[in-house]
Amino acid sequence: MDTSSQLRSGTVISASSLIGPATILVALGVIVPLLFLLRYSFNEYDPRLLMVEAFTPANYVDFFTDPYFLGAFFTTVRISVVCTLACILLGFPLAYVLARTQSRFKNLMIIAVVIPLFVGNAVRAAGWMTLLGSQGFLSVTLMDLGITSTMTEIMFSETAVVIGIIAVNLPYMVLTLQSVLESVNRNLEEAAFSLGAPPLTMFRRVLWPLSMPGIAAGTILTFILAMNAYATPVLLGGPEFRMLAPLVYGQFQMNNWPLAAAIAFVLMATTLLLTVVASLVTRQGFRN
Amino acid sequence: MARLQLDTLSKRYGDFYAAQDVSLDIADGEFLTLLGPSGCGKTTTLRMVAGFVEPTSGMIHIGEREVTELPPWRRNTGLVFQNYALFPHMSVAQNVGFGLEMRGVAKAQREPKILEALRLVRLEHLADRLPRQLSGGQQQRVALARALAFQPDVLLLDEPLSNLDAKLRQEVRLEIRNLQQRLGITTVMVTHDQEEALTMADRLVVMAEGRIQQVGTQRDLYERPATPFVAGFVGRSTFLRGRMKADVLVLESGLSVRCGRRLVGDAVLALRPERVTLTAEPPAGFDNVFIGEVEIVSYMGGLTDVHVRISPSDRIIAQIANGEGVRLPEVGNRVHVAWSSNAAIFAVPREKQPEAVH
Repeated sequence: MDTSSQLRSGTVISASSLIGPATILVALGVIVPLLFLLRYSFNEYDPRLLMVEAFTPANYVDFFTDPYFLGAFFTTVRISVVCTLACILLGFPLAYVLARTQSRFKNLMIIAVVIPLFVGNAVRAAGWMTLLGSQGFLSVTLMDLGITSTMTEIMFSETAVVIGIIAVNLPYMVLTLQSVLESVNRNLEEAAFSLGAPPLTMFRRVLWPLSMPGIAAGTILTFILAMNAYATPVLLGGPEFRMLAPLVYGQFQMNNWPLAAAIAFVLMATTLLLTVVASLVTRQGFRN
Repeated sequence: MARLQLDTLSKRYGDFYAAQDVSLDIADGEFLTLLGPSGCGKTTTLRMVAGFVEPTSGMIHIGEREVTELPPWRRNTGLVFQNYALFPHMSVAQNVGFGLEMRGVAKAQREPKILEALRLVRLEHLADRLPRQLSGGQQQRVALARALAFQPDVLLLDEPLSNLDAKLRQEVRLEIRNLQQRLGITTVMVTHDQEEALTMADRLVVMAEGRIQQVGTQRDLYERPATPFVAGFVGRSTFLRGRMKADVLVLESGLSVRCGRRLVGDAVLALRPERVTLTAEPPAGFDNVFIGEVEIVSYMGGLTDVHVRISPSDRIIAQIANGEGVRLPEVGNRVHVAWSSNAAIFAVPREKQPEAVH
């Protein structure tokens, strides 16, 4: 009895010492500033005095009544949904091949999936510019081949941003799905086949429902990343293109801290809400 | 239910034959077991029948249908896996009903058939459970019910008992065998466990290195093994190697052993331990009598193994049935080892044959 309680208190001490440093860091580095920001978002802004102590919902009202901000809001949600769906569609087959391959180059293949993440945002954006710009590789090639007669400008558009975000987020989706698909025994697919299910039916009834935990985790991860994307929309979207994360930073730069804080909280709340909805939907799918 | 025919079925990967010229004719309602060590081609053969491995050459017929080119979902074979492979997100009833559902059987008609299949394995009270709520033995019985519910032409069992503990294995073994006989369904089972094979099958196929070594009943394989491999894999044997002179095998040690048949050239003799007689005094009426020294005596309850060295290079294992009044020899004793030339002796030409592990 004595030794077991000793053992248990020992475990408690070592467990708290393990999670302690990270907890303190998160508390000081994230939660405290967030609380400050939450308070700021109810302050008033004066062009001369900058932030004025107050308690008003004016910033939130401004955000949801101004078509400029609302436009950025819907663009952000739309792009995040599109990118996440594209990541599922493109990522699933890739993750399936990675999970099922017997190749001795499997580790190399996984590294190849992750390599885009090795490259910094600015470098990656420069790469997209040379590919997608009006004088870029794609445009020139299409003209040289006679497929198009005018220059194709994809750069500085929503399409460019969508492509850029998918390229960044896809590895996260693939790796998450791959680990879940690996836990789905190959015999389950074979069992379905032998019971008379053609490949598509097998996929719909066995593989898809069993990979739901991976779909859910990957969706949440890539959706959060897309909602909060900063560098890609700034570099590939151009000056006219608006998503929420760059907007927050823009307001901070203009010293309008109360509005910036309010937008930041709208962004956070929307991300959380849609994440919860997505996980509920996928859990529902898993049950059926 | 149907007859199953494999006609010179081969599967080659590069230069390596996973299965080579496998021909089998399995009668309607027969229980055939493929037996062999891992890598012998038994699983490849079963997977070719199920449709998961495409044969390099050869043909497969189920009944009158040629199925060689058909995908697995159009073969109508019931398959039971070693690891059960139950769908974890479906209830027991949904698992069992899956095959019927795939065949377009309406829900109302499915239910009585699901219950009937579950009744076969005495699990109808667990229909609403999820697989993870069942024990290993129950899961395997559900897998069996699932493979039978849609009335397949052939039942295929891929090491179905390997994941179960010893006691459960006995139970499920009997259950599968009873069920198979009651339903009269053509069944092919793969196993590496010879006890399992001996107790469950009508006929056995011993495979090694991709090839069929011998096909026969339990008794055929044990009493008349076609190759040294079979003699060593089915039951135990002591092997004596030498050169034939008429019907006498001259061992490398110089000892002469009388065999029941005439052969030419190198030969291997397989001697069943229980067919060897051990006596203190010279016995009468045996063709082969040797004097040797007892090296090992291992008592195993009902039986005792006695290892006797009859020459520096030859050691014979004799098995004694323990009983009242049976005196066991002791290590170091000098004893007579005897066997008759027709009792349990098989001289087989020594070719490049796979060696049994024993």
